[in-house]
Amino acid sequence: MLQYLVRRIVQMIPILLAVALLIFVVFSVIPGTFASSVGADGRGMLDDKVIERMNEQFGLNDPVYVRFGQYVLDLMQLDLGDSFRTRRPVVEELASRALPTLRLIAGSMLFAIVIGLPLGFLAALKPGTLLDSVSMVTAVSGLSIPKFWLGLLMMFLFALTLGWLPSFGYGSGGLRHLILPSIALGVAPMALLARTTRAAVLDILNADFVRTARSKGMSEIRVVRWHLVRNALVIVLTTIGLQFGTVIGEAVVIEQLFSWPGIGSLMVDSVTLRDIPVVQGCILVIVLFFLVVNMLIDVLCAIIDPRIKYD
Amino acid sequence: MINRFLMAATTALALSLTAGAHAQEPRDGGTIRYTAAYGPSFAGLDIHSTNRTQDAIWAMAVHRGLYGWDPVAKKPTLELAESVDVSDDGLVYTYKLRDDAYFHNGRKMTADDIIWTYTDIMDGSKAYPGARYIRLIKGAEDVESGKAKTISGLKKIDDHTLEITLTEPVEPGYYLNQMTTAIYPAKEAQEKGFASHPIGLGPFKFEEYVPGSRMAFSRFDKFYKKDLPHADKLVITPMGEASARNVAFRNQEIDASILGPVQYQTYSADPELSKNMVEVAEYYTRVMGFNPGYEPFADKRVRQAINYAINTDLIIKKLAKGKAYPAAGWLPPSSSAYDKSMKPYAYDPDKAKALLKEAGYGDGFEFEVIATSNESWGVPIIEAIVPMLAKVGIKVTIKPVEGSVLSESVRAGKFQAFMWSLETGPDPLAALKCFDSSTPQSACNYTKFDNAEFDKLLEQAGNEKDQTKRIETLQKANKIVYDEAPYWFYNCNKAVMAYQPWLHGLQANPVDLALQNYEDIWVDDSSPVAE
Amino acid sequence: MPSSIQGLSTIRILSQYHANLWIGGILFALIVLAGVFAPWLAHTDPVMDADLMNSGLPPGHDFWFGTDDQGRDIYSRVLYGARVSLTVGIGSQLINTVIGVALGLSAGYWGGWWDDFINGLTNMMLAIPSLVFALAIMAILSPGLTSLLIALGLTNWSFTCRLSRASTLSVKSQGYVQAAKVLGYSDLRIMATQILPNILGPIVIIATLGMGGAVLAEAALSFLGLGIKPPFPSWGSMLSDAREQMMLAPWISIFPGLAIFATVLSLNLLGDGLRDILDPQSRTRRT
Repeated sequence: MLQYLVRRIVQMIPILLAVALLIFVVFSVIPGTFASSVGADGRGMLDDKVIERMNEQFGLNDPVYVRFGQYVLDLMQLDLGDSFRTRRPVVEELASRALPTLRLIAGSMLFAIVIGLPLGFLAALKPGTLLDSVSMVTAVSGLSIPKFWLGLLMMFLFALTLGWLPSFGYGSGGLRHLILPSIALGVAPMALLARTTRAAVLDILNADFVRTARSKGMSEIRVVRWHLVRNALVIVLTTIGLQFGTVIGEAVVIEQLFSWPGIGSLMVDSVTLRDIPVVQGCILVIVLFFLVVNMLIDVLCAIIDPRIKYD
Repeated sequence: MINRFLMAATTALALSLTAGAHAQEPRDGGTIRYTAAYGPSFAGLDIHSTNRTQDAIWAMAVHRGLYGWDPVAKKPTLELAESVDVSDDGLVYTYKLRDDAYFHNGRKMTADDIIWTYTDIMDGSKAYPGARYIRLIKGAEDVESGKAKTISGLKKIDDHTLEITLTEPVEPGYYLNQMTTAIYPAKEAQEKGFASHPIGLGPFKFEEYVPGSRMAFSRFDKFYKKDLPHADKLVITPMGEASARNVAFRNQEIDASILGPVQYQTYSADPELSKNMVEVAEYYTRVMGFNPGYEPFADKRVRQAINYAINTDLIIKKLAKGKAYPAAGWLPPSSSAYDKSMKPYAYDPDKAKALLKEAGYGDGFEFEVIATSNESWGVPIIEAIVPMLAKVGIKVTIKPVEGSVLSESVRAGKFQAFMWSLETGPDPLAALKCFDSSTPQSACNYTKFDNAEFDKLLEQAGNEKDQTKRIETLQKANKIVYDEAPYWFYNCNKAVMAYQPWLHGLQANPVDLALQNYEDIWVDDSSPVAE
Repeated sequence: MPSSIQGLSTIRILSQYHANLWIGGILFALIVLAGVFAPWLAHTDPVMDADLMNSGLPPGHDFWFGTDDQGRDIYSRVLYGARVSLTVGIGSQLINTVIGVALGLSAGYWGGWWDDFINGLTNMMLAIPSLVFALAIMAILSPGLTSLLIALGLTNWSFTCRLSRASTLSVKSQGYVQAAKVLGYSDLRIMATQILPNILGPIVIIATLGMGGAVLAEAALSFLGLGIKPPFPSWGSMLSDAREQMMLAPWISIFPGLAIFATVLSLNLLGDGLRDILDPQSRTRRT
């Protein structure tokens, strides 16, 4: 197990480097620079000399391979560079925005699991009934609705019309502000989890039924059931892991909509401002987070089902 | 018994009278919950490194420059100095600085702080936007290029007397009132903690900054304006989405909100909300610029034709929901050189067609406009003119770009046409200078305007000491720009801010309505955060 | 006793008649037809027939879905918008599938260093959230239909690739493949004629579901301002434009939103239905 963990961690490094290179190349060819974004609000005439000095200061005049080499060297020392906008270390920027995003992701996945799992479970227990149809139709609908539209609708219904919840922002990090964005983000994973759980549980029950029909004795049923429960857990956990990846990506749009001060909105801002070190930092952090979560889930699956061998 | 009754009655009467008077008099205490509407975040805590209006909004609380701005008189004012003597040639300004200006850590401001700040801004290795303004001071350029370590035009006479020599005889107040030139404490600004906890000379002390979320400030008791600020606390939240601001405002979560066109329409129609709105004609003109290097646009008649072909009034009415003033030339209505007698181009598609035919484009032509997604001066406006220009045979294609790309492309001349909102004030001479042939395209002469008569008028105005004659000359120059039509003149922004009934003291600032002197704002006791 | 053995029930009936497949299929077909015949079904030109005098009218006799800010007929724009969403949805998914199958099939078939390389590449692609990647690509290429096709087509092939590879591995060991090898068929021929047809089932399902995802992604990108070039309508950009007006003129955002919902729903139902038919062993079987 330990060997496996170490191997997975080591495997992350080339992936991170490859992502860093990809993003680096992508952003070297993007039109528009930080210096030009400074004057984008039309206020005040931009000054040629200042722009020239900005480009010089940020090292934007060096060729791409030089800049990338420098970037990798800095990366080895866990130095993500300085933000063009604030001239503070990127690590600082990321650290201050990490918590809200983590809360949002936790909130939405919690919603997905707490609603989705029981829903799928119940639907599987009573297949063919109204409950089953309704839950599954809801699930499919949940997967079909554009998240930002849902977010807007909820914002106007619960915040403006009913006044139950605040409409925007992070507040002081309280629960009330977390509810609307979490639900908007969590509806799709919830739907997928409900369907996956239903299918997995159905398999257990059907196999159970088949076995009972063959009447081979109680102990075999128990063994079979445990074996299938294990399978089901593995499938559900793997789905959760993969959903983390989708949720991280979709969080960007939700954060923009709800003025949520997380890494997603930081990234979108920084792309607009061409604050490249911050964008690169955000993407690396997101990718790292996704890789770690999936590794942990794989480990969990291996613990649950020792037959799963990773070699 | 009766005496006591009379006494109580008179006291009650006296109290009610004074209470009535108190309702108008500023109350001390409470929290102002303000919003910064130009984006979802701030660019950090160093106001020298950013010249975006969004950041000036919070900087106005914590910092001050040598000059300030009087929004009512529409003139720069002396902030950190009590008086100034100007030499006859208009180049040497001797300031008698305030001796009651304290930094938030309690230290008194001296001339050294000003000298250090201006020198630091010119530091060649740091690329501060404010350098553009400090360059007005003699010797600043040498520091920028590394030839000198100190600015020769800055001379400390004593702790509270400073002499500044300029490179040209302009009013330094327009330059040194910019937040990018705000005065930092010389010693403290070089310490490590300053980057996360700025100290300034403003009415409010910095308390905390939650990045992407909000900034909080508390009252500075030693502010140099007597009995100011009124409020105890100030909270500024960046909220770029007008719809989010709308919801928050109606929920009474914020005290002030800059209105977008749609909200302007709804709020104006609401009997309660319409009572508490402040409007001002800002110094911004929205235009579509034509590149004279693109053949059809080299002909004045084509450019005029486009101005005639577009029903500007209808667009203002329907898309801007009336939240704009039609532009009659370059200068906005709030400008001191605004000519009320000038009328915007009329909507006359027949005349447009005739002009086009005359210029040889009777069969029309096509061009591409670059624009951002901004609802007030971006793609939606271009979408509206597409059918209008189609009617006179001109085909328009839209290329949406981000702000940084727009800025870069326009300054480099890489466009056929572009749509933007440009600063056209407060100084009308500086605003018209954009059209001077000596101004490079990368500075603000985006349409490469070159007119000899215009250049002469501008030089005349610059040398003219008599204010009325100066304005007359500037108006003549503005007329030339109007006639030559290097732009389609769309509108000048009508900035509108809605405020809660308990908020008082907002100023109609034409530079930007969002920039307020927070020390003059107060909350009465009907505010939910009055304590 | 599990209730699945108790008599007939709604879903039993529905699943026997493959309701998913029919409902999804018919709905999707209707939407495609609406898009294809938009010029005939629409009342106005979606771009040019914009009279500001008609700005912001509610649904009524002349304008079935009302008008937007610019005075354009929303009904017509929704119809034309179908063309964009469907083109992006179908087109980008086609690209995804071609890339995914090509890489996955070849990786599974040849194995060795090529397999390792593709595996690594897939891992990397799976680790970057696809929306983020598409965002970055759209920022380089200027907005437009081709850019969208490229951006979405290049970022969503990893799952198809994984699936193709796994299917190829299990098919590779089958008798008929071995026979073909012995007969001296070229690799390419074997891959195309022996393996490909046998792995298509699950791939078609994934492709159908992926189309729904692509439509949603286009909407999200247009919402962020990086979608197709205005003034041509796209459901996502219509939603974005209507953001401000949700309270005042909800029809501007309701109809495009419903259109997206209906399209993605139909694709999801269709995909589920196909799965029921093509892959009865699959774990999302109804009963």
